[in-house]
Amino acid sequence: MSTPQAQIAAHLQNTKSLAVSPTWLNSFVSSSTALQRNIPLSALTQTALFRILASDFRDSLATGNPSSLLPVDIFDPTVQERRLQGPIPVQVLDIEDIGTSLWSQVEAIERVERGEAIRGREIVRTVNVGEDNEEGAAGANETGGASNGPHRLILQDAAGTRAVGIELVRVNGVALNKLPIGAKMVLRNATVARGMVLLTPEYATVLGGKIEGMDQAWKEGRKARLLARIAGTGEGQT
Amino acid sequence: MPVQRVLCVAEKPAIARAVAQHLSGGSFQTIPIRGNQYVKNYVFEFNFGGPWGTCSVTMTSVIGHLTGLDFERQYKTWLSCPPAALFEAPVHESVAEDKVAIAANIQEQARRCKALFIWTDCDREGEHIGTEIRKQAKQGNARILVKRARFSNTEKAHVLNAARALIELDDLQANAVAARIELDLRIGAAFTRLQTLQLKPLSAALQDTIISYGSCQFPTLGFVVDRYLRVKNFKPETFWGLKVMYSRDDIKVNFLWKRVHLFDRAAVTVMLERCLVAKKAKVIKVSQKPTSKWRPLPLTTVDLQMMGSRYLRMDSQTIMKVAEGLYTKGFISYPRTETDQFDKAIDLKKLVEKQIPDGNWGQYARHLLDGGFKTPRAGRHNDQAHPPIHPICWVAPTALTTDEKKVYEFVVRRFLACCSEDAKGQSTEVEIQYGDEFFHAKGLLVLERNYLDVYVYDKWESSQQLPNFQMGELFEPTEAKIFDGKTTPPNYLTEPELIGLMDANGIGTDATMAEHIAKIKERQYVAVHSRGSGRNAVKELIPTRLGIALVEGYDDVFAGMPDSPSLSKPFLRKEMELRMREICAGMRTRQQVVQESLDMYREVFVHTQRRINKLKDACRRYLVEQAAS
Repeated sequence: MSTPQAQIAAHLQNTKSLAVSPTWLNSFVSSSTALQRNIPLSALTQTALFRILASDFRDSLATGNPSSLLPVDIFDPTVQERRLQGPIPVQVLDIEDIGTSLWSQVEAIERVERGEAIRGREIVRTVNVGEDNEEGAAGANETGGASNGPHRLILQDAAGTRAVGIELVRVNGVALNKLPIGAKMVLRNATVARGMVLLTPEYATVLGGKIEGMDQAWKEGRKARLLARIAGTGEGQT
Repeated sequence: MPVQRVLCVAEKPAIARAVAQHLSGGSFQTIPIRGNQYVKNYVFEFNFGGPWGTCSVTMTSVIGHLTGLDFERQYKTWLSCPPAALFEAPVHESVAEDKVAIAANIQEQARRCKALFIWTDCDREGEHIGTEIRKQAKQGNARILVKRARFSNTEKAHVLNAARALIELDDLQANAVAARIELDLRIGAAFTRLQTLQLKPLSAALQDTIISYGSCQFPTLGFVVDRYLRVKNFKPETFWGLKVMYSRDDIKVNFLWKRVHLFDRAAVTVMLERCLVAKKAKVIKVSQKPTSKWRPLPLTTVDLQMMGSRYLRMDSQTIMKVAEGLYTKGFISYPRTETDQFDKAIDLKKLVEKQIPDGNWGQYARHLLDGGFKTPRAGRHNDQAHPPIHPICWVAPTALTTDEKKVYEFVVRRFLACCSEDAKGQSTEVEIQYGDEFFHAKGLLVLERNYLDVYVYDKWESSQQLPNFQMGELFEPTEAKIFDGKTTPPNYLTEPELIGLMDANGIGTDATMAEHIAKIKERQYVAVHSRGSGRNAVKELIPTRLGIALVEGYDDVFAGMPDSPSLSKPFLRKEMELRMREICAGMRTRQQVVQESLDMYREVFVHTQRRINKLKDACRRYLVEQAAS
């Protein structure tokens, strides 16, 4: 009978296309079983998946198989089109809504800071609204919430190679305030044009997860980054 | 048996006269009253039917509210007490000095009458004025019976009906107004004194001004400042988009990008390249379908003010004044209404018929009666008091002033438009996929103008026609390229937009919005500037330095306080307005609401006092430093 490590690794590979690093998996299994013996394998697998989605892929995934990594020259703008067979697991390092001006995004953030949301022409208070609390909070999620996109993502593979992704067709789960930093995705047969990965629902899937620390820092710095880009010289991006 | 004596009291002299005219059939005696040159008593006989029968009637009026609320003498002067004391200081209601003669007239007449019929306007304020009249009448005659006439215009048949179907005065509505009056007095006086005393010494420019505060005024000002700052702080950004053109049958068809534009040039460049590589575009949708432009909804006050200031080039306060004049003269229905649905009982065709003599739209009215008539659309609002604003009778243009003509014409055209068929047309839409991108082109052919013929304020015109495209057809676009542009700041707030914001945020009622706007102009918190020139000129509201300083100052005072929103925001006022409605619905008493609202504002007041330096700093910033530079 194979070890739990092997079974977990096979499961994650088959269902999520994640090639888990043996070192990471060993330490995961030993730390889990040290606390509690006889954890059912299915529970252990679930926990492993959850931890991986919350981890940094550079620590948790194996880098041995080049077909599950981005080409190192992926950014090359002279290549008109190429295909990434994959599957390639990546994590999200940045997300931007390129369908909306930076300034209106700043205004939206400021409204949230003031505890307001806009419902049509009505300004709605979103904090401490007493008995209407739930309704208010729900409204805030709606209005301060999902962006329309399309979105421009910075993706990173297990080896640390980065690439720009453009949401060519709306991908479920990709939106500001919905896709946290460190969220995981898998690319299959994705097209790369002029250095940009073209994201469509057929070729890109969101697995979920996030990297808490990075997401926190990203959120805190977002307004300042938007303002800096507005003030910044020209259209310098990344 | 001697006939019963009845006293009728209207809200304004003109209404008293109009009602007297109708009830008496034109023969009445006019008796001036002592001490007031406007109010007259009209004496005649009228058969009220029912229990009343033929009565000897004295019809008179008040001029708006009879009484006023004020603090006791020892609190009246500015330095007599700390402003916070005004939240509890005793207040009393008394007949205003210039209304004493009117009140005396009512008392005197009541002494000789068995019943009092109140003819004030049927809205909250009118209900309250009704209770003021009742109070005076009861002082003259404690046993007088009190009834109220329900009417919404001064057309003869309507007035006669109202006189024969008397109802009771609604004390709940009157109580709501009483609560509002007390809150406005206490809160307004407390904050006005506080901020005036504190800010005056800061700048010579403020020496002789009162820096008033009003719970509607400030949020109104807040909207203007908010927009102003959005314009000022705006940063333009470049965007890029794709444009596809295709010539067929000598027609250049411009296809618009489904994404409109994006803020990332590299992405747009790649998208264009993928279009060009694909070479051919594919037609994925061709639709040709009937379309219509809907006739407008029946006219409400807010709509009259918004449309009026947009199309008639008059400010909302003037429009309301003119409309009230038209109502008083019996030309249009009561102009303060939230209702945008006509009651089924109203004979609309008869109203249309009355417009036939008109030189401009008379023919159109005739066409409606000859089969063009359609029952108006029904909106979702009904204040259960007044119908939508509509013309009562036809008036020769020569009988009207220039402003009256404009407003009357608008009301009539709007009414006729409501009773017309929607405009009909044919729209053609072609959608193509080109590379990974989608584009579309639209054509419109107007077939029947219908209501547009009379409602000259709406525009709907045929556009360029599209050549034929086949579903699934492939073609190579003549041109595909990137265009760029820059985002532009929003415009400064206009009066119609401001009214829309006030309406959506519960600031003021349809009846008082125009007054609040006039107030912030009068206080020089905002100024009116013209953008553009000639017929296209638009009047914009721009805050003064003082206006910005007050809003920013209060925002600073409340910054970082999650549970107390700034006074420049609509939230507190909106809550108060909701409580007024609860009084009207009988869910809360006047005392409860006054107490709760005072508690709420007292807390805000204490906080303002504590952080008054923030307010002062803002004023220094704008009035001293900026004025100097």
